[in-house]
Amino acid sequence: MWVYEKKLEYPVRVDTCNPALAQMILEQFGGADGELAAALRYLTQRYYMPIGEAKAILTDIGTEELAHWEMIATLAWKLVKDAPVTKIKGTPFEAHFADHGRNPFPHNAAGNPFSATYFNAKSDPIADMHENMAAEEKARATYEHLIQLSDDPGVTDTLRFLRQREVVHFQRFGETLELLKEHKERKPFY
Amino acid sequence: MNKKRCIGYELATAYIPFQHYTVSFPPMEALRKGTLFPELYKPYQLGKGIR
Repeated sequence: MWVYEKKLEYPVRVDTCNPALAQMILEQFGGADGELAAALRYLTQRYYMPIGEAKAILTDIGTEELAHWEMIATLAWKLVKDAPVTKIKGTPFEAHFADHGRNPFPHNAAGNPFSATYFNAKSDPIADMHENMAAEEKARATYEHLIQLSDDPGVTDTLRFLRQREVVHFQRFGETLELLKEHKERKPFY
Repeated sequence: MNKKRCIGYELATAYIPFQHYTVSFPPMEALRKGTLFPELYKPYQLGKGIR
């Protein structure tokens, strides 16, 4: 069960109208290493975790990723909400507009629709924790690419916040990996 | 197993040191930075490490 807060995790400021940047931001809305893939990955993997700490961290971080997904949608929306069609024509956002109008939709920057093939759940806690650590690093790298592409100070500020959260999550999954290794060593003796 | 641990790290295994609580940023600064912990704050430097 979830409790919904009617506010964003971090205040999202957007200073410009920029459909091309919105299209790039959608990489983190429906891309392979985006926030939706992250949320579904962690919230799917928690069931077979052998220790409570691992279940808890996957639930906590999976939930936070949903909050990040919401922030990404807010970024993409604010970048296009006031854009006249003439400002959308000829930008990479034009193809998105043809199908979805200005509303965000989970696809990557190139327009490929979201797919559950972006993540996995192996019933192997050690293997999955490695996937999660890699996912955080790849998301961090994606945010660095987006920061390089952004010329909107408000968007860049939010991207920096989200990137830092990836660093923190990597540490938490690393600590969970240590706990899982410890648990695995203990197991034969019960 | 424990003996191997004592003399060092095992091959084909990933390790991450545990974080131990020391100090924290004030709440507003922590929100701005994206973490409560100075030792986990690793901001991206634009132009650095870009190939």
